[in-house]
Amino acid sequence: MSGKVITVTSGKGGVGKTTITANLSVALASMGKKVVAIDSDIGLRNLDIVMGLENRIVYDLVDVIEGRCRLRQAMIRDKRLPELYLIPAAQTRDKMAVSPSDMVVLCDQLRAEVDYIMIDCPAGIERGFRNAVAPADQVLIVSNPEVSSVRDADRIVGLVEAEEKGPPRLIINRLKPAMVARQEMLSVEDVLEILNIELVGIVPEDESVVISTNRGQPLVLTGLNGASAGQAFRNIARRLDGQDVPFIDLSHKESFMDRLKGWVNGRN
Amino acid sequence: MQNQANGTAINIKGTRDGLLFTLGRGEDEAVLIALAQELTAKREFLKGSKVTLDVGARPLNRSQLARLLKLFSEDGLELWAVLAERDSTRDAARQLGLATRIPGSATDLEGNYLRGASEPERNAAAHPTPGCLLLRETVRSGRAIHHEGDVVIIGDVNPGAEIIAGGNVIVWGRLRGLVHAGAYGDHTTLICALELNPTQLRIADQIAVAPEGKRKKFIPEQATIRQGQIIAEAWPTRA
Repeated sequence: MSGKVITVTSGKGGVGKTTITANLSVALASMGKKVVAIDSDIGLRNLDIVMGLENRIVYDLVDVIEGRCRLRQAMIRDKRLPELYLIPAAQTRDKMAVSPSDMVVLCDQLRAEVDYIMIDCPAGIERGFRNAVAPADQVLIVSNPEVSSVRDADRIVGLVEAEEKGPPRLIINRLKPAMVARQEMLSVEDVLEILNIELVGIVPEDESVVISTNRGQPLVLTGLNGASAGQAFRNIARRLDGQDVPFIDLSHKESFMDRLKGWVNGRN
Repeated sequence: MQNQANGTAINIKGTRDGLLFTLGRGEDEAVLIALAQELTAKREFLKGSKVTLDVGARPLNRSQLARLLKLFSEDGLELWAVLAERDSTRDAARQLGLATRIPGSATDLEGNYLRGASEPERNAAAHPTPGCLLLRETVRSGRAIHHEGDVVIIGDVNPGAEIIAGGNVIVWGRLRGLVHAGAYGDHTTLICALELNPTQLRIADQIAVAPEGKRKKFIPEQATIRQGQIIAEAWPTRA
């Protein structure tokens, strides 16, 4: 088995890297793949919370790298999916505890055992980012349809290209089709025009993401009704696995109220 | 055949700073072999020299540069600087502790004038033209391109990117970042782009920002100084 290392990054914080890493890991695992999710945000660990595995942490990433435990001991098996594992970040250390070459060595070991290694990258472009990107076979860049997020994503694309990692792919997260229709939010096309990289998924804004995140149950698992984001995550996972999945039509159907507002505002 | 390849692939020149090796066109591997042969052949003659290596637009990563470094040291030469047009190659060279600068530039990265190069005068007419830098890529946020002559970008200049040129700046693509033409004070320089939508434009000592509001359609435009002000206008085409 030779696993693929996929790093989820964004530059800017709070755009949804951790949620996306958790959900893509769960989606890939529920497709029957063997998956390890690694939280590389040392000092600010979150992925364990989103995946609902916080209370089962014994050893973490830094313990493995510093040789205090075996790799297997730090891999927390998910309760729900037996082929899903998490290697949590250390909470009491900082980014300097790990070097990019440590990550390469660690991932090379994991490659032999699993199909996918999903790395949740910290925000920023410093050591933490370099650690997370060093072992990557594929970099996924998450951007919200928002100017500052796109600007940071553009910087990241440049850095990933300079690392000679091959072209990164893009996930646009938290899109609100109704706002795009009113031209109050950047559209998918606007984002692509700047970044000019391959789009691998569009995740619509969805309240059930917040609910599932707080409960520590990734949305993909819960199957909450009306979870359009859940479907988007599943589709992205299939695309990462090499399947050709058409994009969901997110274009906003204008309701009567929208048209009324349009008249009031002097449109039409 | 081999001799011909040797003649064109590697060019060695003596300079004040030691030897300047220039890599010519051709496959990376072929050039490397030609270089190794050249070094071995002239070993006794070259031994102990300080070497600057000009790789031109050739993209080289850290491990390739490390190989070159080893190649030189094996034959008793000291590689101390790499001249490269690409940022990524220069970054890799710097990580290996080598000095870097763009071929043809008179200053090092900190802006100090290199030995042998005279400080450019702040007089437009007397300023020599140090050639043109051509980049065929998207210049993304966070990158800064500094060049003393003209700069031509075939690709987009994204917001957050900076192009600073002593001469003219031509963007065959969308210009959305910051561009400074005539950075040494040349008022006659121009900036043109297929889509001129910059964060800020500077020509010589003038600064301009794009008018507020979203434009729907873009046409190729050029910006120049007219009556002391930066003016953008449609690229003149003949009907």
